[in-house]
Amino acid sequence: MAQVPVQTIHRDPQLFYWILLPITAVMILTGVLRHYATVLMASAPKKLDQKTTREQRALLRGINVRGNFHTLAKPSFDVRRDALTTAYESGAYLKSPENRGQAPPNPLSDPSSMEGMMGMMKNQMAMIIPNTLIMSWINAFFSGYVIMKLPFPLTIKFKSMLQAGVATKDMDPRWMSSISWYFLCIFGLQSVFNFLLGSDNAASQMAQQMGGMAPNAGQMFGPGVDPDKQFLAEAENLAVIEHYSVLDGVEQRLLEGIKV
Amino acid sequence: MSVEREFQIAPIVQEAVVHNSRTLLNLQSLTASLFGVGAGILGLESYSGFLFYLVCSLLTAMLFYVVRVAPTSLASGTGTGGGGAFDTSRYFRSQVEFWTGGLMNGLAGFILTWTLFYGLVRA
Amino acid sequence: MTWISKAITLFGAVLLGHACYSAQEHSALQSFKAATATLTSSSLAVASLPVDIAIETVIAIIVILFGLVLGTRPLRPIQWRVWAGKIEREGEEGFMDNDGEVNKDFVGNPFKFLETRPGFVDIRKQRKEFASWVKTSSAQ
Repeated sequence: MAQVPVQTIHRDPQLFYWILLPITAVMILTGVLRHYATVLMASAPKKLDQKTTREQRALLRGINVRGNFHTLAKPSFDVRRDALTTAYESGAYLKSPENRGQAPPNPLSDPSSMEGMMGMMKNQMAMIIPNTLIMSWINAFFSGYVIMKLPFPLTIKFKSMLQAGVATKDMDPRWMSSISWYFLCIFGLQSVFNFLLGSDNAASQMAQQMGGMAPNAGQMFGPGVDPDKQFLAEAENLAVIEHYSVLDGVEQRLLEGIKV
Repeated sequence: MSVEREFQIAPIVQEAVVHNSRTLLNLQSLTASLFGVGAGILGLESYSGFLFYLVCSLLTAMLFYVVRVAPTSLASGTGTGGGGAFDTSRYFRSQVEFWTGGLMNGLAGFILTWTLFYGLVRA
Repeated sequence: MTWISKAITLFGAVLLGHACYSAQEHSALQSFKAATATLTSSSLAVASLPVDIAIETVIAIIVILFGLVLGTRPLRPIQWRVWAGKIEREGEEGFMDNDGEVNKDFVGNPFKFLETRPGFVDIRKQRKEFASWVKTSSAQ
């Protein structure tokens, strides 16, 4: 059994100072910059007129009543349910009652909705532009160097990714080039930003992508949603609730909790 | 009694849950980088490195339990209700989240510093 | 962070830095030796780390870990009844950071309004207070 000899490549120590450190420093500084850029670009929440606010709050009230019905006594809950249901069904809280039953306007033509899309675009841009810039910068300056060895073995499939720009057939896939250090930085610097900027920072792309996937609360009142339909659905939800109170049988629970 | 009903009778403070898990998460992501430095200096490779990370993360959780969770939980007596000595129900919703929640989170940071220091030391 | 956790962390960091430097010097020396040894004898095996450096590293990690854990913020009970009892008993002190400052997201006792509800006001006590106030002001 012949043991495969460990590949050793003698590298110039200068590679560290002129490739590794600049890439790392640039990545960290870009993250910090992105954080502050996002903070600065965040547009103040738009002022809503009274009618719109009333419409949204009325719906929220229904949802809250539905979510917390267990803390209400039965008569109080019934009164609230009746009032809300009749108001929803008659459209008392609608912003424009005369528009009932019409199709909602096209969200693209509504100027107020354009603003929300612009905000999303800005965030996306703040993410994409630095990434492409840094990547082309690394490709232009640092491609073709082998700078480091990963401490764990990888399969041969990673070779094309880790050793981009180094076209050597026999080299162990554990050796990596500068571009793969860049990828490692993208994934691994989260904890550094956590430490530098506090935990709810906007520096990391990863966190932003995660956040983009979760449905945000603003969606509920977004353009293109018919409030009348939402109200009717909410009235139906309220109607099907089978009421009980948390105080049902509280005496029994209290007696059980007392240990003699 | 259903689980939902149970929560309605004994409600949970959402802010406190967020506060607690964020405290733990910050600690774990910080220490993960530290373990990477250690593994790189020790020159660990492949499986032994990941094993090192696993052991160290469990040690972190253990220390955190001893310093932050245990004194108040045991003193108040609410902690000893279900799971004996290692009960975290006073501060965390699930045991699994407390002991292993930070593993995946810190892994990327660990690999980054591991690679960096492995490369630095074995130049 | 309190000063004690900071001091412990700093001490561990110094240890870790020293271990890192020693390991780096060691491997540099080894590679130099290997480069000169190839001319004279058969190749040396890849030398492992001296045991004192390894011990120093492990101790440094444990020390830093201990310092960091001591520096974490105090936890908060997640059940409302436990949490409310803590607020009632300790007030602002329950929200202290390690620095001795009150946390930023402390907004006051959430149950304060219950005690100022009209049904809970002790009207007899207030009448007595009013009467004594009238007496003292008329006496002057």
